[in-house]
Amino acid sequence: MRVLITGAVEGLGRALCDQLLGNGHFVTAIDYNNEGLAELDQIWGDKISTIAADLSDRAELLNLLEKLKTDPPFDWVILNAGISATGRFEDIPANAYQKLLRINTEAPMIMAAGLAGSNMINKGGSIAFISSLSHATGYPGASVYCASKDAISAYAKSIRPACAKIGLHILTVYPGPVRTNHAERHAPKGADASKRMAPEVLAAHIVTALKGKKCRLYPGGVAKLSRVLGKLAPNTMSRLMRKIIYEKLGTTRF
Amino acid sequence: MAEPRNILITGGTDGIGLKLAYTYANGGNNVVVTGRRSAEDVKGLLAVNITYIKADQAAPDEAANAIIRALAKLGWHHCDLAILNAGNGKAGDPLAENSRDLINRIDVNLTAPILISHALEELLMASANSKLVLIGSTSHRGASNFASYAASKAGLNGFARSLREEWRGRVNVQIIHPGPIATNMHDKAGFDPGIIKRIFLNPDFVARTIIRKIKKGRSPTSISFAARIIDYLTLRNWFSS
Repeated sequence: MRVLITGAVEGLGRALCDQLLGNGHFVTAIDYNNEGLAELDQIWGDKISTIAADLSDRAELLNLLEKLKTDPPFDWVILNAGISATGRFEDIPANAYQKLLRINTEAPMIMAAGLAGSNMINKGGSIAFISSLSHATGYPGASVYCASKDAISAYAKSIRPACAKIGLHILTVYPGPVRTNHAERHAPKGADASKRMAPEVLAAHIVTALKGKKCRLYPGGVAKLSRVLGKLAPNTMSRLMRKIIYEKLGTTRF
Repeated sequence: MAEPRNILITGGTDGIGLKLAYTYANGGNNVVVTGRRSAEDVKGLLAVNITYIKADQAAPDEAANAIIRALAKLGWHHCDLAILNAGNGKAGDPLAENSRDLINRIDVNLTAPILISHALEELLMASANSKLVLIGSTSHRGASNFASYAASKAGLNGFARSLREEWRGRVNVQIIHPGPIATNMHDKAGFDPGIIKRIFLNPDFVARTIIRKIKKGRSPTSISFAARIIDYLTLRNWFSS
């Protein structure tokens, strides 16, 4: 199988990369981190193709799409790259929000429509979008991150019928906290890292969900429970999130 | 009579925004509307008691800056009510939406209202009882003919939900999701709803309901066909106008 992964150098993207390459699949890895890509190249040699691209840069994103068109079509496209911005809404500069919405919302939409719309994904193939558990709970202290992940969830749902018509499957993943540098940077002070899901475990959940052609994945017990509670009592859930996150936020990070 | 309030309405030269602007202006408030056309082009559309700011949301940061600069020039030291209503849409096969469409949709419908909220923060906080109202859409749950539009409105919903908690006790953040309305937005969007258009919401009813819902302040809240029936049953529009 041929798999495309964005944000492949660190965290979940890296775990997916290692797992799929370990299972003998060919991976096209996208990231803005040149050194990280060079390291992947060194480890995996001709099993991997790495492309450096900053997905917050519109010209680079469109160039990337053109470049990918010269490759054979993919079987799985995993649109994983994402960033966050945490702190009081008003304390974070506007340009950080623009960058966040470009990477988290605009880029996956452009890549999904661009790849699926020009037959660059094989029939029977899949696109995976990484939303967030904040879709179920709200996320005071990261309202624009929450916006970006809600948008991508609705987009995934909206393109599902059109994709089904051309034989493509859509998976949306709603992960809670994962034990990555990303979580470490943005978690409130004193949060217990051992309670976060290991990226390898999440990657395995995602691979299973893709194989089973599931539509939605709330990985793990906490995510499943939060989803139900968020549906039953959305406002109570957001208020609880304010207590456990917003009121404990340390430094503003973006 | 109550003190006149400082009210900002984005996308106020057409559709629901225009109706809201007239209603608030006739109530004796200081109303400022924004749009992307030149001041010259909208001259005939707006009453003399409504001020116009040109702010094209296709460039979200420039739009937010233009609004703040213009409000400062008008001598606003506070804003009591901001209704972020501007938005666009285009119907069709979601896989045929090109990158320009997608970029424009997210910039105009999602990034711009977020950056405008961000820029308005000081003015909103300076008012004792201020409200930030985002106009969403019932399509925020997903719509296969309006994929990027649905995504942008879902983004607004997530934004409002989280910011409402952050600003609780300071500014009432609210999102209102109208169902399909019989304005010319569907024509602009290249979508002919056919016979279904008969059950589309009447713009006067929607504007009236939005004003009522802003007074109540609950969020999220939708305006759907069911709300139309309730409107009839409560005889509200039998006695008014």
